[in-house]
Amino acid sequence: MYYPYIVKELSYRHNRTMVNIFGIAVGISLFISINALSSAYKKAAQQPFQDIGADLIVQRTAQQTEGSGRQPKSMWGIRLPFSNQLFPDADIAALKQIDGVETSAYALLLWEFTKAGFITIMGVDVNQPSIGALKAKNWIYKGRFPEKQGEIAVEKHFAKFKKLKPGTSFIIDKQTFQVVGTIEIKEGAQAVAPNIYMPIANAQMLLGKEFSAINLVYMRLNNPSLQNQIKSQIASKIKGVSINSSDSSLELMGGVSMISEKFALIASLTGLAGAILLIMKTMISNLVERSHDIGILKALGWTKTDIQKQLMIETLIQTIIGGSLGILIGYLISFGLGFLSISIPVPAEMDFIPAMARHARDANQIVRLPVSVSLSLAASAMVISIITGGITGFILGQKTSKMKPADIFRQL
Amino acid sequence: MNNILTATGLNKAFDNLEVVKDVSLTIKKGEFVCLVGKSGSGKTTLLSLLSGLEQPTSGEVSINGTSITNSLENDLALFRRKAIGFVFQSFNLIPTLSAWENVALPLFPVKMEKEKRQERAMELLGQMEIDHRAEHRPSALSGGEKQRIAIARALVNYPEIIFADEPTGNLDSETGGAIMNILKHLHKNRGLSILMVSHDQELAASCDRIIHMKDGEVVS
Repeated sequence: MYYPYIVKELSYRHNRTMVNIFGIAVGISLFISINALSSAYKKAAQQPFQDIGADLIVQRTAQQTEGSGRQPKSMWGIRLPFSNQLFPDADIAALKQIDGVETSAYALLLWEFTKAGFITIMGVDVNQPSIGALKAKNWIYKGRFPEKQGEIAVEKHFAKFKKLKPGTSFIIDKQTFQVVGTIEIKEGAQAVAPNIYMPIANAQMLLGKEFSAINLVYMRLNNPSLQNQIKSQIASKIKGVSINSSDSSLELMGGVSMISEKFALIASLTGLAGAILLIMKTMISNLVERSHDIGILKALGWTKTDIQKQLMIETLIQTIIGGSLGILIGYLISFGLGFLSISIPVPAEMDFIPAMARHARDANQIVRLPVSVSLSLAASAMVISIITGGITGFILGQKTSKMKPADIFRQL
Repeated sequence: MNNILTATGLNKAFDNLEVVKDVSLTIKKGEFVCLVGKSGSGKTTLLSLLSGLEQPTSGEVSINGTSITNSLENDLALFRRKAIGFVFQSFNLIPTLSAWENVALPLFPVKMEKEKRQERAMELLGQMEIDHRAEHRPSALSGGEKQRIAIARALVNYPEIIFADEPTGNLDSETGGAIMNILKHLHKNRGLSILMVSHDQELAASCDRIIHMKDGEVVS
């Protein structure tokens, strides 16, 4: 094989070469960016769960708990969120019997309504596994996590708003608590983060309940892909609970995420198919244009394999350059999409913020779209480019083999 | 064996149109034969059949004792690469390649060093007195220069026979005369067998033998 001939052919017919390269680049960049966008929505929905290290969050809502849906006497002071009613001891015992759970942790979420506004309080047991609300132990910004009764840690933005820092005190339900640390919540987990963390015994005391009072159960599964089976198992054993996972957020996202989830492959493959058809069409028209040259090559003793090799390498060079360019463009598009912010719709039961505080809820749920081009996505795009080149080269070779030099010369 | 080419009972029809009818002929080694006839007499088709560019409807062709009839296309291509040189009326050079690359074109699929290919091409361009145009593309060359390059290309694989289809047909008489002199020189000094197609009786007169064709048949 004489490689300069290949290069000279490609540069001599530069318009056709450019059409092929850009055609495949557009197809590949569509494939990359659509798939990256689709997985970004999935990642965004999973982010709160990944950050807190849990696959499932189990709760009882007011409507689902017999007798707990009654109107409160007063909206002021400490109260349970409507979506986080207390679990009866029997439910806790039943949850411990669920198969496929690697580890679990409990928490008590409270609201306090005052004339100055509302706060969300999370009672956690520091002796439990570090998942769920207790994951905040790893996000200390200043100071430390509360270890004994009377101590609290405050979310960073809330601390700034209330001018709190380690060493200051804060009053909750007429009781004074010592601020021992501030916490910087990871982006994404902010949707399921409270304003204040304190030992669970303090939270139970504020609620006026005994030590077993809990209203949140976090579960990490042995095999996260089996979460739907485990959800069914829980629902069958404990009636009236709400079980949330990353799938719940993804379902709520609907719109673009569901469309891209369902049609990402079809949409990206359609883009690619367009590029493949374009390259095939231009290469085949090129074959007609080059039939004279092919006739000469055949007359001078080039075999079908020699010509096929020549055309195959010409096509492969174009698809590899087009593929690489497509990956680069796809990466740049994905990089640009990464600047977009999206709202993660947290299921109502999981939202720690009261429904009346709509603006605070919205602000809490906005995250940057985590778009990234994985190595495997880039590699599959390159493999697709090479396969496209291979198939096109093969088709051209087959067409060439049917061309007879005498027929070609006769037609000229 | 003295014959470089033997054809027996060759026929070629396109649909119902018989273009070559029952042609039998031989060409001796080192013989310069000219195939003459009017336009449409079947000269070029016969040349294609004799050189293996086309398969006959019936009959047989053998070159240097090797039958090329009913051979597979790839085998025929390899045979042409090894034993046959072509010179066409319209030169048939590849427009993207330089003069020396066009000469070396039959050698590209052969495993050999690039330098050796180029060396062989340059040697032939030197013999055709056109080595100073080695790096030029066909578009920058005159008709005579193009045909010299085509002759050099026909010689690059040390062929046993050269088939020339109206090699002077696209040239003025002076340039055509010069090309004819090159072919005669190759025949005389190297003992090359040449089968040339022409409709020019004057050119044909300088060949060893003339075969006349009319309506697809050899008439004399």
